[in-house]
Amino acid sequence: MDGLIILDGSGRPIIQSNFRNHPPSYPLSIVDAFNDALSKTLPENRATRSVDSGDLDPVLYISSTASGPAICCHVEKGGLRFLCPASQDIDPLFIFAFLERFLSVLQEYLQDISLAVLKEHFDVVYQVLEEMLDDGKPLTTESNTLRDIVLPPSFFNKVLSVAGVSGLSNATPAPFSSPIPWRKAGVRHNKNEIYFDITEDLDAIMARNGTLLSSTIWGRIDCNSRLSGIPDLNLSFINSKAFSDPSFHACVRLQKFAQTSSLSFVPPDGNFVLMEYQVSPSAVTRGSTAMSSGGLQNQLLNFVPLILKSKIEVGEKGGSFTFTVTPRSGSEQLKHRLGVENVVLSLGLDSGAIGAFCTASFNSGGQGFGGSRDKEREERAAGVWAWEPNKKTLRWTIPSLGSPSASSTWTLKGTWTSTEQVPRPCRSIMMHFQTPHMLFSGIKVDQLRMTSEMYKPFKGVKIASKAAVEWRW
Amino acid sequence: MAFNNLAENAERLSRRIQESFQERTRDFTKSGQASYLDANDLDKTVNLSKLLDSTSEREKLDGLKRIIAMISKNRNVSAYFAQVIKNVASPNLEIRKLVYIFLLRYANVEPDLALLSINTFQKDLADSNPLIRAMALRVLSGIPVASIASIVAAAIRKCAADSSPYVRKSAALAIPKCYNLDTTHLPLLMQTLSTLLKDRSPLSIGSVAIAFNAICPDRLELLHPHYRRLCKMVADADEWGQVQLLELLTRYARKMLSRPPDVSAPEELDEANPGQASHEDHELDPDLELLLTSASPLLQSRNPAVVMAVSRTIYSLAPVKERRKFVLPLMRLLHSSKEVERVTLENLRVVAQASPEMLRPHISRLYIRSSDITQVKQVKMRILAALITPDNAQDLLREFKDYVVDTDDKLVSDAVWAIGQCALKAPDVSSSCLSALTMLIRSSNDVAVAAAVLALKSLHQCRTSLTGSLNVVASLASHFDNISHPEARACILWMVGQYARSSGQGTTPMPANLQAIEPWVPDILRKAVKSFKSDPSAVKLQALTLAAKVFVLAPSHEQSCMLARYAFSLARYDLDYDVRDRARFLSSLLAGVNGGVSSGLGSDEQEVDMQEGVILRTPQVIHVLFEGKVAPSDEGRWRSGVLDLGTASLITGVAMQDDYLRQLPDWPDEGTDSSLRDTQDDTPAPFYSQPSLKLQGFGAESIGNFSRPGSTLTTPVVLTPGDSSPSSSVPKPGLAKPHYMDLDKFFASDEEVASEDEEEVTEEELEAEPQTKSTNVATTVAPHPVSVASGGHTSTEGHDAPQPTRESDDEYTDEESDEEDAFLRRG
Repeated sequence: MDGLIILDGSGRPIIQSNFRNHPPSYPLSIVDAFNDALSKTLPENRATRSVDSGDLDPVLYISSTASGPAICCHVEKGGLRFLCPASQDIDPLFIFAFLERFLSVLQEYLQDISLAVLKEHFDVVYQVLEEMLDDGKPLTTESNTLRDIVLPPSFFNKVLSVAGVSGLSNATPAPFSSPIPWRKAGVRHNKNEIYFDITEDLDAIMARNGTLLSSTIWGRIDCNSRLSGIPDLNLSFINSKAFSDPSFHACVRLQKFAQTSSLSFVPPDGNFVLMEYQVSPSAVTRGSTAMSSGGLQNQLLNFVPLILKSKIEVGEKGGSFTFTVTPRSGSEQLKHRLGVENVVLSLGLDSGAIGAFCTASFNSGGQGFGGSRDKEREERAAGVWAWEPNKKTLRWTIPSLGSPSASSTWTLKGTWTSTEQVPRPCRSIMMHFQTPHMLFSGIKVDQLRMTSEMYKPFKGVKIASKAAVEWRW
Repeated sequence: MAFNNLAENAERLSRRIQESFQERTRDFTKSGQASYLDANDLDKTVNLSKLLDSTSEREKLDGLKRIIAMISKNRNVSAYFAQVIKNVASPNLEIRKLVYIFLLRYANVEPDLALLSINTFQKDLADSNPLIRAMALRVLSGIPVASIASIVAAAIRKCAADSSPYVRKSAALAIPKCYNLDTTHLPLLMQTLSTLLKDRSPLSIGSVAIAFNAICPDRLELLHPHYRRLCKMVADADEWGQVQLLELLTRYARKMLSRPPDVSAPEELDEANPGQASHEDHELDPDLELLLTSASPLLQSRNPAVVMAVSRTIYSLAPVKERRKFVLPLMRLLHSSKEVERVTLENLRVVAQASPEMLRPHISRLYIRSSDITQVKQVKMRILAALITPDNAQDLLREFKDYVVDTDDKLVSDAVWAIGQCALKAPDVSSSCLSALTMLIRSSNDVAVAAAVLALKSLHQCRTSLTGSLNVVASLASHFDNISHPEARACILWMVGQYARSSGQGTTPMPANLQAIEPWVPDILRKAVKSFKSDPSAVKLQALTLAAKVFVLAPSHEQSCMLARYAFSLARYDLDYDVRDRARFLSSLLAGVNGGVSSGLGSDEQEVDMQEGVILRTPQVIHVLFEGKVAPSDEGRWRSGVLDLGTASLITGVAMQDDYLRQLPDWPDEGTDSSLRDTQDDTPAPFYSQPSLKLQGFGAESIGNFSRPGSTLTTPVVLTPGDSSPSSSVPKPGLAKPHYMDLDKFFASDEEVASEDEEEVTEEELEAEPQTKSTNVATTVAPHPVSVASGGHTSTEGHDAPQPTRESDDEYTDEESDEEDAFLRRG
């Protein structure tokens, strides 16, 4: 890595690290090459340099800079671009891993990453950058250690700086005195509490005939630790056999996990990702009978509480479509009366699409609403649709499924117009939905034990799951 | 000490607040740091000097922030150098840091003034706070003034023996900086480095690996006594250090250890006596096993770079049967972000092409989503194509058919091509592939049509025994009118010409003069000639070729010959010199056949010239025109060649500077003696840098121990042979760092090869088969006629520049649930 450059929304560099081994024109040529590549991917009619740049290769090859050919890895966050050029061969994943870490540290320092916030605290950003990247090598990247060296901006620090006193000199313990690299020494909290957020993501592709082509379930445990001293925790689970191919924060003792499937760790202070895992499909089957592989597929299918039938007809300069959504009676969510929320269906129309018009309707399946208030309810139940001209996407949102009966149907009917003679809409419809209070894997936290500290911490666990299902039509 | 500090500061704080609270409260309301970046420069420069010279720390800080803001905006602020540098010894850490940032950027502008600050840093190197020591060394080594290199080298040496691992880490990182400043200090730096190599702190060891890779990547023999300890420390190093350390150890293993038993050397494959092929030692080198067992747990790291580094280690070192284990962890990375996904897939592609069986079980996870970004779609397509077997061809064919309607044109053409691959690799499904391709010819999407024609062509060439092969050509030809894509049209014309010869089974009685060719061929020629004027050059070239072929096959068919002559006369006055050249060439080739195509056009000087050359007889002409058409190899469709995981060149397809440093050497014929690696301290010793005994066993610290019971304690010290003993570690300067390959030279040599290729193309290949898009673009655009002939042979391995396409929707939803915390379970 040669350094890091932060660009604002219009492609001007606002902050850049020191490119010590390169001529001053080097970062400039990188920025130019990047802006050039970016402008090529943007359609001309889009006036703003939009955030969405799906077509720009995350790893750009720049053949001529002041230091010879280079690669430029870049990510986007909060309307800003973070570029990392490298003129020597290096694993691009190394760069992306660093960028990711840099962004998460920045997020922690500034709460929000945006042009305004960065400008407000540019001196902090410079200091953090200087500590994290030394001559192109990652130096101190643990946020717990960093907070000892560079003070996060806070109201208290502002008071100090207005008074002309640096907060750093009275940071209590000497930096680097902690025996554990990821945890700072001498942490004290008035209220000792620790929270775990377990979320699972289902990623699936549905074939035209409604069978599952591909599906994976990913899980992740976020942790927010506000515990004093050096707490040694042990977190055990029910149904932990569902964890497959896990990855851990450096604090987790791997051997212990291999033996007991429980997480034994001394947490860093603050927010961190404790663990990420994949759910092995065989562990998901909750029925007691052994399932054949076809049965397994059906089992996974039961995590998708809706059935989508779509009819899309493409004509000249436009087309028409009908989406019909019905509940899947055997699905886990409906069987256990779990709320399914934020169902979003989106269809990318062709690049020449100008606009769409549709009507959404809901048929409760016999129960029927009456009166004007019920009409409102009905309209709300049917969801809202929106046309997003920037992304050329049609989006239909059903805020909540409520408790549908088997014959309930949601329908979206409509047409769209396009400038293209033969429009080519996206070949699939994306469906997103959330099920709070449920995990696909059936994993539950069994208990959290703490040794080595005397106090009783407050513990909290929150679970939720999301799904992104691609329906081909 | 800390308490004193605190008390003192508290006192100062209260005093200052008392003094001027009212006056300063307005700073809150203004809260104006953002204004530093936005404000007009003029009013800033006015008070800057005053601020910097002020006695108030607050004002100094204010001034420095303004200066940094100006650096940010690329203003030249070197005028303030002296004023800023004055503050380098400020007791306020924040001020100091800002001064450092300034100093590092402007030291080379004012080297003399920068030297003034060096005393301060030397004093700081003896400070009691490790943070101050480390920072002083970092800044000192960062000042790009060559005259202080010896001071820096001495400082590094001092810090290398520091008690704080953080300072030692800074020392290691400073080594490459000092080396870049002045290479003559290499001996001293090497000495320091070998001290640092003995370091037992996991915090600093990663940086030592960085320094090693930077200044003496080839002196791997220095690692002998440290190898085993480094292996065991990998798991405890910080994540960035793990990557560097694994890279170093992998290179070491490749150079110093013996080959795993089931990985055969390339030359062994040729050995005549297979009975003797089995190795004498079936054992995996224990030192190699140590590295693999210590690295494997890191597959569970949260850092994608570490996972990739371990994968690279396993992929290049492990016995074949154990390689599988990195596949799932790599696949896990596909979920993390689109950037990581894109890079990881490129690595998986290498795996897919080298050992497809490793990925086949997970193939459904590589199916392409319509929301993937363009590059991801392309790489996934390449992986899927590499994984086709008769077993999964049915499923894949169904997938590919779905992709054909994608909005991304590149994916469409790749998918169509892959359908063709299915037909080749799985004979069972070839008929459904064929019908799918034939269906596509009628598609409304030009790109799909063109790709289908090309796929049919290469299928046809690869498998001449394909049932009803001629029907394919005939049905393609019947669509000639409806197809507008130039590439597809050119391709059809070529096929019609190439397969124009009658299959011999005269089903219908034909006029005698047409017996040699299929009956529908002259009609296609007629259509081609008819649209000749409006066709692009690529089509014109193929129309000429078709005309020549028909002319030579059916010389007695009057109408065809007239059509051919007409085509040649049109081409003769074409605007494109490629077309004119082709016409001239073909007409002289045909001079001996039936009076030549140019007869009746009136003789001019050119024809007089031609009379003097050799005139070929008809069979010879036929040979020239029809033979030697090798089916295109699909290898060239997608560049390959770089087969090392985890490199940038893998992604860009272009070699980077210094990439030889990352290329792994081939296994040695025989590993070095394992006693070289025996040391006194093979017994695990407690880390003195980690005083907290209670906390041992973090991470994978103890993983190394259970892997090889007993082997760690037993061996006594063995004296090492003189040559490679660590005492001879001071190298001759200049030898240690290999010469960089001059990039210009590199490209120059590349061009030579390319131009040689072009010259080798003989006339026989002149009618280049339309092959891929890039080929034909090259043909039409190329400024000199030579490249006409080279189409399809040289340019396919060119750089696949990322093609901007229209697919712009990125359905990447990032739904952070911002609802209130609804905890199900409270402890």
